[in-house]
Amino acid sequence: MATRTRRVGPRKSLFHSIYIVDSFKGLWITMKYLLFRKKVTIRYPEERRQYSARFRGLHYIKTTNGVENCTACMLCPTVCPADCIHIEAGERADKEKYPVRFDIDIMRCCFCGMCEEACPKDAIKLSGVYDMSAAKRTVYDKEFLLVQRGNK
Amino acid sequence: MPWCLIDGKNVEFSDGATIIEAAGSAGIFIPHFCYHPGLGAPAQCRMCVVEVEGRTKLQTACSTPACEGMIVKTGSERVKQVQKSTMEFLLINHPLDCAICDKSGECMLQDNSYHYGDATMRTVEERRTYADLEMGPVIKKNMNRCIHCTRCIRFGEKVAGIAEMAAFGRGGSTEIATLDGAELKTPYAGNYSDICPTGALTLKDFRFKKRSWLLTKTAAVCEGCSRGCAIEVHHADGVVYRQVARENLRINRYWICDEGRFLYRYLGDPERVRQPLVSGNISDWVSAAGVAREMFNGGRVMVLAGEDLTLEEAKELLDFVRPAGAGIFRFGTPQVCAARDDGDEDMILRRKSKTSNLHGLQQLGISAFDGRPSGTVLVVRGGRAVIPDLGGCKVIGAGVFQGGETTDFEAVLPGRAFLEKGGSIVNCDGIEQRGVSVVPGPAEAKGLGDILRLLGRGGD
Ligand code: SF4
Ligand code: SF4
Ligand code: SF4
Ligand code: SF4
Ligand code: FES
Repeated sequence: MATRTRRVGPRKSLFHSIYIVDSFKGLWITMKYLLFRKKVTIRYPEERRQYSARFRGLHYIKTTNGVENCTACMLCPTVCPADCIHIEAGERADKEKYPVRFDIDIMRCCFCGMCEEACPKDAIKLSGVYDMSAAKRTVYDKEFLLVQRGNK
Repeated sequence: MPWCLIDGKNVEFSDGATIIEAAGSAGIFIPHFCYHPGLGAPAQCRMCVVEVEGRTKLQTACSTPACEGMIVKTGSERVKQVQKSTMEFLLINHPLDCAICDKSGECMLQDNSYHYGDATMRTVEERRTYADLEMGPVIKKNMNRCIHCTRCIRFGEKVAGIAEMAAFGRGGSTEIATLDGAELKTPYAGNYSDICPTGALTLKDFRFKKRSWLLTKTAAVCEGCSRGCAIEVHHADGVVYRQVARENLRINRYWICDEGRFLYRYLGDPERVRQPLVSGNISDWVSAAGVAREMFNGGRVMVLAGEDLTLEEAKELLDFVRPAGAGIFRFGTPQVCAARDDGDEDMILRRKSKTSNLHGLQQLGISAFDGRPSGTVLVVRGGRAVIPDLGGCKVIGAGVFQGGETTDFEAVLPGRAFLEKGGSIVNCDGIEQRGVSVVPGPAEAKGLGDILRLLGRGGD
């Protein structure tokens, strides 16, 4: 059976079918935002946005008088749904248990903040830092996490 | 059988059973600290209190014998109140440093506090602290966490047969310590950590290695001697972190010796031969098996089977060797050549034969090695049997070896250790036990069956 095409709706004139009026309507909206409204974009990276204090960005380990708060209790690796925290515990003279190694495989992290919530020592925190793109896979180690304080 | 009513449940018990035992047999858990089935009940901690109808005072379930027709309530309001108070009392001086405590996750104090204690504390006073004394290489002591249950003191007296711990001082400043601050002497010291309900006594060997809740726990059998104690292997990601005692009333009750406890170390020893060796150099399976096959099929062969092989492996070896006409002998512990030489090493558990399956191999009719090797020798061994002097013979090794043992072997074909393969072993009392494969073992190691097939056939 041959296929038949049937036009639906009113027949349009040439003037209508090149959408000249609609194009100008659309352009007007663009111009309105360009000329009269407040800009929503910022000049990143020179300008930075201030996020809420509860924003969950790059991790850091808090210190008290220069000593890391973390006591390697392993609650954060236990709770982490992405399995991206790797800690090795050790013992030293001024601290019975401390993390010899503390690595966060940031590419796996989903920034859920569960680690921060689980920590009994207020040690692992998520800062406001959100730009952490890198050319290769990044694993943040303890040295980095201890100095990285973000904007907190 | 006499019966009693516990929480409305009709419970039958054998004569002389205490309330806690009767309840336990019916699956009713009564929280406790000082009571341990292997150490008796001094009724010190008062955690196990229950209400018995007709008696005005609450009774300690661990020390009160169950009586015919007794009506016991384990969770009444009065009981709950006392449990709360007991927990609060025990925690007055407890540091609550679960974050760094190795017992965390398997701690009775933690569990009982969670289930029966209050969430808040009323004390504001300083907590009592002790200077930690050394206790020798096995146990790490932290008296701040101790709740004075005296389980450790009783273990020394009743089980280890050496009263080396005692309670000094009195009241709130009681301190558990070894006499004169000496190091622990018993070869069963690891059990102190198993029985201590808190983190006061923990294993130095396991210190900070892993949190207990991250470990998989598999029931296994110890291969340290011919006793064959029941153990539980705690492992994660294919690595064994520790071994603890498992209850088996027929064999080891609740204990294991330190040698057995720390035996797992040889599995992960950096010296262990994990790849095939040809004349001491790392090689691959094709060439090592080629060398071994040529030697094995090229003349007179003697096979030495370690008494640490499982029954299944020994049978496989017999089926392989007997048709080939080679002689097969077993070896294991020097001076312990037969079941009759294998006696008790002490009055507790340890046996003279330091291999697990002397009795099994003897039952299979394999005779002991007489110390006169001849021709080419194939040594098949599970990692524990002591290799005898093979004076100048050409040797092929198959199984588990440490680097130093194979210096003059022509070829070594790495095999699996007991915890990596499982199998049956027969203990000194003729009890046959089956172990399962707990961890996978080195990637290149092969099971004995595969190794024998490579030795027998050409090419593959
Ligand atoms: S934020 Fe979430 S995913 Fe990232 S490390 Fe913490 S727990 Fe893991
Ligand atoms: S939860 Fe906190 S104290 Fe525990 S290991 Fe993680 S960062 Fe350290
Ligand atoms: S050290 Fe442990 S076993 Fe010994 S009395 Fe203290 S809590 Fe009990
Ligand atoms: S007594 Fe023997 S079987 Fe028992 S734990 Fe010690 S070595 Fe192992
Ligand atoms: S368990 Fe009964 S008093 Fe301690």
